[in-house]
Amino acid sequence: MELTGTHTLPAPAQKIWDMLMTPDILAKVTPGISRLELENEGVYKAVAEVKIGPVSGKFEGKAMVENPVAPESFTLKVLQNSKIGNVAADIHMKLKAISDSETELSFEGKADMSGLLARTGNRVMSGVANTLTKQFFKNFEDELAAQ
Amino acid sequence: MSNKFIGKSVKRVEDKRFITGRGRYTDDIVLPGMTYAYILRSPYAHARIKSIDTSAAEAMEGVVTIMTGEEVGHYGVPCGWQVNFKNGDTMKEPPHPLLVKDKVRHVGDAVAMVVAESRELAQDAAEAIIIDYEVLPAVIDASKAVEEGAPLVHEDVPNNICFDWEIGNPKEEVDAAMASASHITTLEFVNQRLAPNAMEPRSYIGQYDSVYDKYTLYTSTQNPHLIRLLMCAFVLGLPEHKVRVVGPDVGGGFGSKIYHYTEEALVTLASKKIGRPVKWTETRSEAFLTDAHGRDHVTKAEMGFDADGKIVGLRIKTFANLGAYLSTFSTAVPTYLHGTLLQGLYTTPKIHLDMTCVFTNTTAVDAYRGAGRPEATYLLERLLDLSALEMGVDPTELRLKNFIPAFDGVTQPGYQTNVALQYDSGNYHGVLQRGLEMLGYEDFRKAQAEAATTNKLLGVGFSTYIEACGIAPSAVVGSLGARAGLYEVGQVRVQPTGKVSVFTGAHSHGQGHETTFAQVVADRLGIPMEDVDIVHGDSDTVAFGMGTYGSRSLAVGGSAIVKSLDKIIEKGAKIAAHKLECSVDDIEFIDGKFTVKGTDKSLGFGDIALTAYVPHVYPANLEPGLDFSSFYDPTNFTYPFGCHIAVVEVDKETGTTKIKRFIAVDDVGNVINPMIVDGQIHGGLAQGIGQALFEGVEYDENGQIINASYMDYTMPRADDFPMFELDRQVTPCPHNPLGVKGAGEAGCIGSTPAVTNAVIDALWSVGHKVKDIRMPLTSERVWRAMQS
Repeated sequence: MELTGTHTLPAPAQKIWDMLMTPDILAKVTPGISRLELENEGVYKAVAEVKIGPVSGKFEGKAMVENPVAPESFTLKVLQNSKIGNVAADIHMKLKAISDSETELSFEGKADMSGLLARTGNRVMSGVANTLTKQFFKNFEDELAAQ
Repeated sequence: MSNKFIGKSVKRVEDKRFITGRGRYTDDIVLPGMTYAYILRSPYAHARIKSIDTSAAEAMEGVVTIMTGEEVGHYGVPCGWQVNFKNGDTMKEPPHPLLVKDKVRHVGDAVAMVVAESRELAQDAAEAIIIDYEVLPAVIDASKAVEEGAPLVHEDVPNNICFDWEIGNPKEEVDAAMASASHITTLEFVNQRLAPNAMEPRSYIGQYDSVYDKYTLYTSTQNPHLIRLLMCAFVLGLPEHKVRVVGPDVGGGFGSKIYHYTEEALVTLASKKIGRPVKWTETRSEAFLTDAHGRDHVTKAEMGFDADGKIVGLRIKTFANLGAYLSTFSTAVPTYLHGTLLQGLYTTPKIHLDMTCVFTNTTAVDAYRGAGRPEATYLLERLLDLSALEMGVDPTELRLKNFIPAFDGVTQPGYQTNVALQYDSGNYHGVLQRGLEMLGYEDFRKAQAEAATTNKLLGVGFSTYIEACGIAPSAVVGSLGARAGLYEVGQVRVQPTGKVSVFTGAHSHGQGHETTFAQVVADRLGIPMEDVDIVHGDSDTVAFGMGTYGSRSLAVGGSAIVKSLDKIIEKGAKIAAHKLECSVDDIEFIDGKFTVKGTDKSLGFGDIALTAYVPHVYPANLEPGLDFSSFYDPTNFTYPFGCHIAVVEVDKETGTTKIKRFIAVDDVGNVINPMIVDGQIHGGLAQGIGQALFEGVEYDENGQIINASYMDYTMPRADDFPMFELDRQVTPCPHNPLGVKGAGEAGCIGSTPAVTNAVIDALWSVGHKVKDIRMPLTSERVWRAMQS
C-alpha cells in the first residue's frame, strides 16, 4: 500500500521537528497510537489500536527514526504485529519551511501488510490510510493550537 | 427391466432433507466430550521460523493440548501421482509436513494446532503463541520462479522445477509442420488461478475409541476410502481395519475435497493423544488460503494452418504453478488431464506440449472442476476463434473444416489422437450445427454489424470442447504414474422383503446420486424407487470406493452397480426356475417379474428375495442370500463433448460486458435424469463464465492474497447470467453398460473460452484487433483493450 500526504502547518520547521521527536506528542497526534515509549536512541516501542472496517486489532511493535536530518527529514520505520496481521512500513518524512511560521510536512512511503489485514483488500485499506492521514494532520493542528 | 424412471426428470430424493435444513454435515456432528482445534497459520508467504514459544498459550484457560512441528513435523501427506522428468528422473517430491518446523512456504502454512474446550478458547490461545519469523523473499509467478536467482521454495529443488514433461509428436516433426504453415496464430495468455469456494468449508472430526482401539474420522471429503488409504498407509501408519472414515453430507467440492489434507491427520493424531474427539472447521478466510486452488497456467501457444485453413500443427509451452507443496493429484492435472486433451475435436496431425511444473510460495494447486481440461479447451478454442479473425474466415467454417468425422465407436473404430487417448464415440458436426440453429447465426451477424455503429457492441464466441471423463482405466493410469486404481465398487443387497440397499463407493456432494442411482436400480429390478436406498460415504458400510470426481460417478460407479444388478437377476432367475420347475433359459425378467416365457406363470421380485433368505424350496448347490458386490474397472475414459456459444454486449464507453445469450449443446451420452444433468450444466456454466468474467485469486508481490474474502473475490451471481439455452445430442458411450459419459464438468470446461472469444469478437467488430485480454475480463481490462 502506497502512503502519501502533504499539509502545511502553522509553525516553524524546528517546532514541528521537536514535536515529532517527542514520543508523547507523536503518540497523541497519530491516530490509533495509544502509547510510544523510547527504548533506545531513535527506537520506540509502539502500541496501537486500530479499527478498519470489519477488522480491528491491537498492534504492538517498534517504530524507528532513521537518518534524521534536523529539521528537514527522517525515515520512519514501523514494524507492528497483531493477531490480525503484521505491518511493515517505510515512510520518508520531509519538512519544508515555507515561511518563518509555516512548514510543509509531507511524507511518502509504503506499507506491506500480511495476514487478515492484507486479505481484507487494499481498496479498503487505502481509504483508511487517507482517513488516518487527514486525522494525523488535524490532530497536529489541534496540538499546535493547544500549545 | 422396466422403463419407468431412466430418462425421466425425477425430483431429487435428497432434497427433502437439504431444503428443510436437515442435512447432516461434519460440523453439525457433536460428540460427547468433544474438543475444538484452531490452527495457527503463517501470515508470511516465505519465512524461516527462528523460534516458537507456546508456554503462555499452554497456560491459558481451556487449553487441552498444543501441537507443533516439533511433535508431528515428521508426518507428511503424500502426492498420489508420480510424473517423471523428460530425462526419466523422478519428479521432485519435497515433504509436506502436517505442521511446519523450519520454514513456512505460503501464507496459511500451518505452524501449530491448539486444542481447547471451545473454538474461541483455542483461537485465543493460538494468538498467544509467539513465533519469531525471519521473512524471506517470495516467488509467486510460475514463469518467473524458474529464473536463475529466484527464491527457492524448497532448497533441494533447483530452479523450483518439480518436473518438466512433454507429450505429443516429436518436437522436430511439429517444428517442421509449423515451418510449412501458411499462417501461424500465436497466443500468449494466462489461465488465472481460481479459488474453489465450496459452500461448506472443510471440516473434520477425529475420534479415538480406546475400548475398541479404533479411530473414526468424519470428513467433508469427496472420497472417504481414498482418505483412509492415504492416511493409514502413507501418513500415520495406522492399521486400515482399525480406521473408519465417514464422509457425511458434503456441501460441494468441485475437486477441492478430493485431496488428503494435513488437518485430517492432525485431528486423528490429536484425538488419540488426548482421548477425546477433536473437531476442526475452517473459516472462509482459511478456505481461501488452504483449499487447493485451480488452474494457474502461463502459456504460449501457436497453431499453424495451411492455405486451405486446415490445421497443420500445434506447438505449446506452458508453465504450470503447483503452489508450495504437492497436493494429492496436482501433478496429474497439468499433464495427463491436460496434455492428453490437446487434440480437441480437430484432426491436427502434429501436436507438441512442453510443460514445466513449478513450485511457488502460493497455495497448492490441484484439480478444480474440469481439472486440466478447461485449460486445454481454453487454449484450443481461443486459438480457433482468434485464427478465424486473423485469417478473415468464419470461425464455425474453420471448425467444420477441421473436425474429426463422426464415429460411433461400435461399427466404426474409436479415434486415436496424437496425445495418447483414443476417443470412444463422437459427432462433433452435430453439436455445432444444432448450436448455430439455436443462435440464428446469419441474423446475429446482421445485428452485430448494426451494433458496431452504436455504443453497445455485440460479439459471439464459440467453443467446441471435448473432455475425458469416467476416470479411469486402472491399468492405463497406472502406466502413467497414478499410485491408485480408479475403478469403482457397487454392492447391491436385496433384503428378504425385496427392499434394496445399494452401497456405492461414489460419493455424493451435490450430484444427486441418491436419485439417479435409485432410478437405475428401480428400473433394472422393476421395483418402485422408494424400495431402493443408496448408501455412500462410510468406509464401515461401503466395502471400498474411489469416490467422486472427474465426472465418473455414473459412468464408473453406476456401471459397478449395474454389474451387481446383473448378478442379482441371474441368481434370481435360477431360484425362479427351480420354484417354477422350468429351465433357467426359459425364465425372462420383465417389469419386476420372473416369468416362464410364453406363459402366465411368474414370481415377483419380492417372492424371489424372500426365497433367497428362506431357502426351503431352493436349488441344490446354490448359496442362500441375494447380495452381490462388483468392482467395475472401465476399459477407456468417456468423452463427452459439446458446443457452447456466448453472445455478449460490450459497452464501448465503460468496457462492461453483459452476457446476452448463452447456448450450450452438450453430448454426455445417455441421460438418466435430464433435470439433474441440466442442473450440472447450469452449475458448470456459472463457474466457467465466472472464470471468464469475475473470478481470480490475486497475490501481491509478497505472496499475500489480497482478495481472500467475499468482499473482494468476485463470485458470479444469478443476475450476471441470462437464462441458459440448453440442448442435448446423444451419442452413447460404447464401452459401459449404461452408455453414459458424465456431465459434472462439461459446463465448466466448455464455457470459459466462448465468453472471452465473444468479447474479442465484439472488439474486432469495430477494428480493435486485440489478441487477448487477461481473465477475468473486468470492465477496466476490456476498456483498456479498446484504448490500445
